[in-house]
This record gives sequence, C-alpha cells and structure tokens, in this order.
Amino acid sequence: MDLFPFLVTQCANAFSQAALLFFLGVGLTLIFGIMRIVNFAHGSFYMLGAFIGYTVAHVTGSFWLGLLLSPVLAGLIGTSFEMGLLRRLYRRDTSAFLMVTFGLTLVMGEAIRLLWGVQGLQLPLPSMLAGIVFLFDEPFPVYRLFLIAAGAVLAVAIWQFLERTRLGLLIRATSQNAEMVHALGVDVNLVRSGIFGMGCGLAAFGGVLAAPLVTASLGMAANAIVDSFVIVIIGGMGSFPGSLCAAVLVAFVQVFGTYYFPDFAIAAMYLLMLLVLAIRPGGLLGQEA
Amino acid sequence: MAKGSDVSRRRLIQSTAAVAVVSTLPQYARAAGSIKIGMPLPLTGPVAGVGAQMRRACEFWAKQVNAKGGLLGRPVEFIISDTEGNPATAVRKAQEMVERNGVRILTGIAVSSEALATVPRLAEWDTIFVSGDNGDGRLTAEALVPNFFRPNVSGPMGTRAVALHLRDSPMKKLFGLGMDYAWGHNSMEVFEAECKRAGKNFAGAVFSPTGTKDFSTYITRIRQSGAEGVYLVLSGDDNAAFLSQAKQYRLGEKVQLLTELIDQMTINGTGDATVGLIGGSRYPYTLDNPVNKAFVAAWQAEYRTPPDMFEGDQYQSCVVLQAGIEKAGSIEAAKLRAALEGLEVDSIKGRVVMRACDHQGEQQGFVIKIVKREGMAHPVPEVIATYPADRVTPPCNKMVYDN
Repeated sequence: MDLFPFLVTQCANAFSQAALLFFLGVGLTLIFGIMRIVNFAHGSFYMLGAFIGYTVAHVTGSFWLGLLLSPVLAGLIGTSFEMGLLRRLYRRDTSAFLMVTFGLTLVMGEAIRLLWGVQGLQLPLPSMLAGIVFLFDEPFPVYRLFLIAAGAVLAVAIWQFLERTRLGLLIRATSQNAEMVHALGVDVNLVRSGIFGMGCGLAAFGGVLAAPLVTASLGMAANAIVDSFVIVIIGGMGSFPGSLCAAVLVAFVQVFGTYYFPDFAIAAMYLLMLLVLAIRPGGLLGQEA
Repeated sequence: MAKGSDVSRRRLIQSTAAVAVVSTLPQYARAAGSIKIGMPLPLTGPVAGVGAQMRRACEFWAKQVNAKGGLLGRPVEFIISDTEGNPATAVRKAQEMVERNGVRILTGIAVSSEALATVPRLAEWDTIFVSGDNGDGRLTAEALVPNFFRPNVSGPMGTRAVALHLRDSPMKKLFGLGMDYAWGHNSMEVFEAECKRAGKNFAGAVFSPTGTKDFSTYITRIRQSGAEGVYLVLSGDDNAAFLSQAKQYRLGEKVQLLTELIDQMTINGTGDATVGLIGGSRYPYTLDNPVNKAFVAAWQAEYRTPPDMFEGDQYQSCVVLQAGIEKAGSIEAAKLRAALEGLEVDSIKGRVVMRACDHQGEQQGFVIKIVKREGMAHPVPEVIATYPADRVTPPCNKMVYDN
C-alpha cells in the first residue's frame, strides 16, 4: 500500500471512529453541562440503544426505523429515570448521583441480559450501506462513510439547536445560571429532564450505529463509559464543541497510535488525556480550571 | 426528630439482618453435605459470553448428576461469582469461595490470565482447579502446579491442529492477530514456530487489547502485510467485532481467515461474516460417537439448541472431574489429585487421558470450516480434518512440538 492511499484510508478510519466517539461524548457532556452530574449509566444507555435498535430492525425489517425509534425509547426511559429518581437527589452532593447512576448500570445490565440473553446480536445493514467504495484502490466500507456523514450532520444539528432555538437558549442559560433562569419563570426541572433524556437518546443513537461494527453485546457498556468520560474530560466538562474536538483528536490518536505503536494501543488515549490536562486542566475548551 | 428516625432505621437494619441470618440457616444445614464447586467466571465484560456458556454446561452437568443421586451420595452445588475477566478479582473471588464457602474444587475461571494468577494459590488453599477452557500453554508447562488439571483443549493444541492442516495448503505467507494477553501471545508463539517448521513465511503479528471495538487499523495492517492468510487468536466480543468489520472491509476476498477457535455464539452473532473461515474447534457438536450423541440429545431436550463449543469443552471437564471424584471416593485435594492423574474417560470428544506428567488431557484435535447449509438459519461449522491425540498434544511440560 502506498503512503497516500494509506493516509487517506487511515484518516477515513479515524473520522468514522471519531463519529462514534462523538455520539458517546456529546450526550454525556450535555448532561454534565446542565446538571453538573456525572451520568455513570451513559454507557448502559448506549448498550440499550444497540439492543432496542436490533429488536426494532428485526421486527420491522428496517434498520432506519431502529435508528429512529431506539433513541426515542431510550430517551423516554432516561427522562422517566430523571423524573422518578434523580430529581430527588439535586439537594445532595454529587456522590449520590454517582451511586444511583452506577446502580442503574447494574440494573440495566441485568435487565438486558434477561431480555436479550448473553449472545451478541448482529444488526444487518441495509443494502445501500453494506457495500464498499474504493479510496485510491483500497476498499473502504460505505457504512463507515455513512458514520462520518452522520457525525457531521449531528454535530451541525446540535450546534444549530443550541444556538438558534429557544430551547437551546434555555439550555445554555440553565447551564450558566440555573437559579436566575428559574427566577425568570422557566421550569428548570423540565429543562433538566428533557436534556437528560436527550443525552440518553444520543447515547442510544451511537449504540445503534456502533452495533453493526461490534455486534450488540453485553460488553458494550463497560468500554463505552470509559471512552465517553475521556472525551468529556479532554474536551472540557460541559463543552459541546470541546467534545467534538476531543472525539476527533482521540480517534486520530487511537487509529494512528495503534498503527505505529501497537504495544501502546490502550495507553495512547490516556496519555493524550494526561497531556491535555497538564496543559489545560479544564480540558481543551472547558471554562473551569 | 432526626435522631428518632435514625434509631428506627438502625433497628430496621438490625432486624432485617437478623431475619436474613435466620432464613439462611436451614439452607446451610441442608447444604452441609453437598459437594461445593467454586466457579469464579466472567459474567460481565467482553468475555461474558464465554462465561455464560461455561456456567450453563456446569449447571446442566450438575442437574444430570443430582438427578442420579449426586456424587458419593452427596448433591453437587455450584458457587458462582462474577470476575469481570479480571485476574485480581478472580483470585479474590476464588479465595472467598475457599475461605467462606468451604470450596475444595474450582472450575470455570475462563480467562488464562485469571488462571495464571490463581494457580500459585492452590496449594495454600488445598484446592483442586479443573480448567474448563483455559488456553495458555504455560499452565501445563512452566506454570504447572500439582493441583491444576486441564481436561480441555489448550491454545497450543488448537493452534497445532490448524497448523497441521496448513501444511498441505498452498499458502506461503502468513500473518497473525491475537488478543493482547497471555493466551493470545502464547498461541501466536506456537503458531509462529509451526509456520517455520512447515516452511512458511511468518510475516509478523499484532496484538489488540481485550475489548477493542475498532479493528480498522488492524485490518489495514493485515492487508499491508501481503499475507495470504491471517491467523486469529480472538474470542468473545473481540472475535465478533473483528469478523464483522473484516467482512465490511471485504478482507476475506484477499486473505484467508484462520482462527484458533470459533463458537456458534459468535457465528450466530455475526451473520454471514464467518462463512469461509477455517479454524480449530475445541468441540464441534456434530461429532459422531455414542457418548456425544446421547449428550447432544439430552442437551437439546433441555435447551432446544445444540451445545456450543465452550459448553462441550466445559462439560467434558466436569465429566473428568466426576470420574476423578468417584475414583478417589473423596474430594480431598491429595486423593483427588492421585485419582485424576492417569485417569481415562470415554468422553463426548472420544477418549481423554489425563496424563500424569503435566495434567493435560490428551485428546483429538479438530479443524472446521464455516459453511452455509440449506435449511439452517445460521452458518455451521463442518469438521474438515481430525487429528489423533498424539499429534496435537504437545510433549510433556512443553508448548512446542517435536515434529
């Protein structure tokens, strides 16, 4: 393989991986930005998304319906969890959130095992995404190009949503000063519930899109939560553009790091995180130090 | 007010604890006579699927044994706990079982690095560990301890079967991808040695960390190596993820995929991505012998699916353990060890001999090819070669083969 096709292929690999990491990180960072809580169950919603997506796609025969319905269902589950349980904890310190959301990961893991079993499940791709294209004579899956496109579209959509819509304005205001927003007559609790559900839905969206690569399996949650924390910490807690930059950065370090230093495949991501934290303790685009 | 609620809560906790103790007492009394077998195994994490198979095999065996009045007139009971595939956790869970539950026999510890961490403690615990799936060759070579037994196929044995098959293949140049822990490295070493012996060009290997999700870079490496075949030492979620992505990159069109092991769970989970794969199998359920046919029939009556690869291998280990206990008339480590050494069992895979010199079970080796069959929902493994025990089992205390 010549250098140029190799670089193109590797960059395309890295961007497709960045898209998956972005779906994971952005939901967690939105939740953190608004609520100042760390949702330990984020990886479980990612996994749940993959399993629901599988079932919907299997029953209806449509991958797209799975991709659409799974985030909606996971978002509703997330919202009801926030309304039923988390809302009671806002007056407590953050360790309460950690414990409750960690407990939720255990419950969800067991529930998924009981409902879907231990076997990994394959989410078949629609034929229009199952093919390959040739990048300078090197075969590359169409599905990975689709992931890159989906990541870009989602990033623009969230950005426009936060900047241009009234709800986006409320979200930004709540993240800056929740009490003031409350005093101005906005139901802050509703904003919180909504954003928690949205974060969970985004995780589920990422889960459905990851399923054709890794199969929907019980091991999905454990790695996902670590990856998403790393994205959020590198990008800056609560920063949306930060999570985008972090996802791209981590993906490139992983893809090229694994190629040139295969023995340090796991360490590369953490070394990057240490480096960023040493230079900018608040993360790339984080505000607080 | 605050104080009052505190007291009542404490009282509540106390009374709950008291109720819990009282309600478990009769259970303990009843279970005192049972043979307790400790099974620390991964129920969560990337190898949870393997752990689930091993657990089901043990439960199936226990049910069979208990239906016939148990072992030595005592019922068999499994103590199960999750290790997450983590060696430190596995040792801690095993120790708890030994010290708290009075366990004298262990099985189930699925990951080789877990087993390597556990075996040095067996003498101190005075406990026998009968492996159900541990692959690392060192467990019956340099890391062998007197209380460890391996009735299952080891990594070197699986690799050897594939390597023997490769000797007749026109492929000249081979590459490797293994999981980055004990088993992956160990099997790859054996494969490299076997390649060289067969006069093939081994172009190198890469190792992916357990739990790797994105295999694109590894696929690039394999493609760049220019090899005609790639040998995979992957299991669990990693195996499924690699095979799914390899198919998306059409890797199989350029490179023959070879694997140390592939189970039906992975085949079903990855759709057609496994078709054409050639590999070792520790237990293909289609084996044609009366013991296996009876086992498969009983299994299908219970679960309505054929037994999977790790289920068959773990079940064989249970049967070997059963024969050992019956021969020893005891579960004491010293007596059981003496009984297991040299034990011969007619198992589902044919004759298994637990040789005394390194506690490895001598048995046949199988090479399979994944094919699509009419009327079957999923691709199935078809046995394409069988090698006798003396060709796949390494010399005593070794991981490399003489010929």
